[in-house]
Amino acid sequence: MSATLKPYLTAVRRTLTAAMCLENFSSQDVERHNKPEVEVMSSKELLLTPVMISRNDKERVLIESSINSVRVSISVKQADEIEKILCHKFMRFMMMRAENFVILRRKPIDGYDISFLITNFHTEQMFKHKLVDFVIHFMEEIDKEISEMKLSVNARARICAEEFLKRF
Amino acid sequence: MTETHSFGVSPITCHAWNKDRTQLALSPNNNEVHIYQRSSNGWKLLDILNQHDLRVMGIDWAPNTNRIVTCAVDRNAYVWTQGDDGKWKPTLVLLRINRAATCVKWSPLENKFAVGSGARLISVCYFEEENDWWVSKHIKRPLRSTVTALDWHPNNLLLVAGSADYKVRVFSAYVKDIEEAPQPGPWGTKSSLGTALAEFPNSPNGGGWVHSVAFSQCGNKVCWIGHDSSVCVADASKGNTVTRLRTEHLPFLSCIWVGPNSIVAAGHSCSPMLYALDDNGQLYFASKLDNTQRKEAGGLSAMRKFQSLDRQARIETTDTALDSIHQNAITCVRKLREDKFSTSGLDGQLVIWDLKTLENSIAGLKIV
Amino acid sequence: MILLEINNRIIEETLNNKIKNALAGHKPESIDVKIADFDGVLFHISNVGGDKTKIRISISLKFYMQLQEHGADELLKREYGPLLTTEEDGYNVSLLIDLENLPEDWEALVKNVGLLKRHCFASVFEKYFDFQEAGEEGHKRAVIQYRDQETLYVEAKSDRVTVVFSTVFKDEDDIVIGKVFLQELKEGRRASHTAPQVLFSHREPPLELQDSDAAVGDNVGYITFVLFPRHTNREARDNTIDLIHMFRDYLHYHIKCSKAYIHSRMRAKTSDFLKVLNRARPEPKNIEKKTITGRTFIRKE
Repeated sequence: MSATLKPYLTAVRRTLTAAMCLENFSSQDVERHNKPEVEVMSSKELLLTPVMISRNDKERVLIESSINSVRVSISVKQADEIEKILCHKFMRFMMMRAENFVILRRKPIDGYDISFLITNFHTEQMFKHKLVDFVIHFMEEIDKEISEMKLSVNARARICAEEFLKRF
Repeated sequence: MTETHSFGVSPITCHAWNKDRTQLALSPNNNEVHIYQRSSNGWKLLDILNQHDLRVMGIDWAPNTNRIVTCAVDRNAYVWTQGDDGKWKPTLVLLRINRAATCVKWSPLENKFAVGSGARLISVCYFEEENDWWVSKHIKRPLRSTVTALDWHPNNLLLVAGSADYKVRVFSAYVKDIEEAPQPGPWGTKSSLGTALAEFPNSPNGGGWVHSVAFSQCGNKVCWIGHDSSVCVADASKGNTVTRLRTEHLPFLSCIWVGPNSIVAAGHSCSPMLYALDDNGQLYFASKLDNTQRKEAGGLSAMRKFQSLDRQARIETTDTALDSIHQNAITCVRKLREDKFSTSGLDGQLVIWDLKTLENSIAGLKIV
Repeated sequence: MILLEINNRIIEETLNNKIKNALAGHKPESIDVKIADFDGVLFHISNVGGDKTKIRISISLKFYMQLQEHGADELLKREYGPLLTTEEDGYNVSLLIDLENLPEDWEALVKNVGLLKRHCFASVFEKYFDFQEAGEEGHKRAVIQYRDQETLYVEAKSDRVTVVFSTVFKDEDDIVIGKVFLQELKEGRRASHTAPQVLFSHREPPLELQDSDAAVGDNVGYITFVLFPRHTNREARDNTIDLIHMFRDYLHYHIKCSKAYIHSRMRAKTSDFLKVLNRARPEPKNIEKKTITGRTFIRKE
């Protein structure tokens, strides 16, 4: 783990632990509704100040919190074109399976690659500390996975090129 | 000893005890209220109260008149009375609110109860003999957001309410139709229903939602907890001075007085904490009441090992558990007896804590 | 299977079957098969006039007219000679095999028939390789539109033959992955000294084609092979043609493979993430289960 990754993830973990203190809260605006206040944003007093944690200009996390929901948006490192499309493909792939992921938002918020929306219903069904573990695990793995995929594409390209040219 | 009871994996929204603490009403995070009888080998389900059609938010059990009041997100409240066959019969209360009810409390004399709601008001309900129904009066001003918590003053006439607008307010809840006019007390002289006698911001600059409020046994002090992880006490006998303690823990969700100067608060940190007032009326942290050590998980059976690998992709055999009894937020703290209290939470557990034995086992702990 | 086969295996296998059956004395059966190949090529194997012993193999190439300009007919005559027959309606070239009159070396014949598409392509390369060998310059560059929006250019100088492929990447991601491949091809010469020089340009055609109506666009790429006499001489040219005429398909095949691989990785990782998320779910203890006979059993930890 590189020197800056650990404090970055620690900061995210601590912030998430505090931000994920959610409770059930029915809508003040619409009868018999219960909506994530962080998405509705209609009652100012129910929202907390968003927190942004950045490791560098590309890698950052935005944590927006409210009384019954928290939205975690992650911007993943993309050093070059190929990492960009791999990241884009991967995020789209996951978001198409958002219903399995439960806490995944179907669309990332502007400027980020992926967003999680965690509501009190999730913290009621699952252990909060393990949800935090999941987000951290996700952040660690996604970088690793993207660079591994990139390496494998490069390796394939090299072998293909060499095999082809060797035959001449 | 600390007793742990598990009611499945679904959360317990809230719970309430009957007078002799042999029966328990709890809501398993849905529209039902389950009544359990305590027996030598666990809990026996006696009845399911399923009149609400959305999630139950509050349960209160009047000890002397043996009535249960429940309120729910469906905007209704029911008063349940036990028939001769032991089954509970509901009576609908017209709350006249158009948003979810969030909390409910019987008054000490059990002739009134108050319901907080997302309609930014409090319904004070009492029984009208001539019409044979429960009527409600509203307290609206100056509430500006959902009412999250309520408690009655021991004199049966004052009400304290915490709200999501970061404020705690003391209201007069005197209903002139059914009771004698109150005597002037430390909280003020005005007496008509709905008069705001005191207002305390959770902190001078905002401070987060108020999650729980409680009057002390003497009625002169009000304790509340906010989302900024603070514990506060206001003392009416000292000119409404507020003592405030910012804690290092995650926000608390529920608080009760366990002695004239002692408060137990519990919440997202998963273990109850004891706070106390010193001789100068300042709050201080007394002790953490849950000193459970992280359990070292023993060797896993082969089946468990493969199961965990298959379902959770976990290679290491140890499970990450919190070093507390509750494994998720505690949402409800109830006084059981003079020296016992119970907590329930999102992990589906109900824990009964014995302050006497805790006093003996934790060095320097003294309930004041 | 890194390199693609240049022959058409289905044709070979079909014909081998037929011939083996005929040699074994079985009654011939009728045949009517259409086979698709790269670059929109279509084969049709059928019986002529209901005669089950006469098998006709026809090929249709959209750009055969362009190949004809460069001597495709002559080359095919050289390769197939007497097998050529009048072309079937809707096809460009037809070959006829008579099961009752098979040559001794029928296996070689079948192999050669399998290379029909390759031979169609070969004419244009051979012609320009000859120009180069003879040192003739100034011949008009050959333009073969081998796919709807993709074109092949061949040009001969006295010391080299340049072959330029224009190719279209349908998907934006393909451009990026394609670039990785082409970058490696460009640098691949380090691995093999005998390899031709490969150049790549994205969006704009290379300098040689600046005066032509070559397509320009974000999804267009140009790959230039510079072939030297060591590639175009009589001994090496067949091998060169084999490789180069399949290049476009080779490139796109591997781009697709890469994407498929990425996809399978993503699938695996996603299911892995789901499992990690599952860790957060509490597991109910003491699950009651019913056996098939209706008895219950309770699993205890």
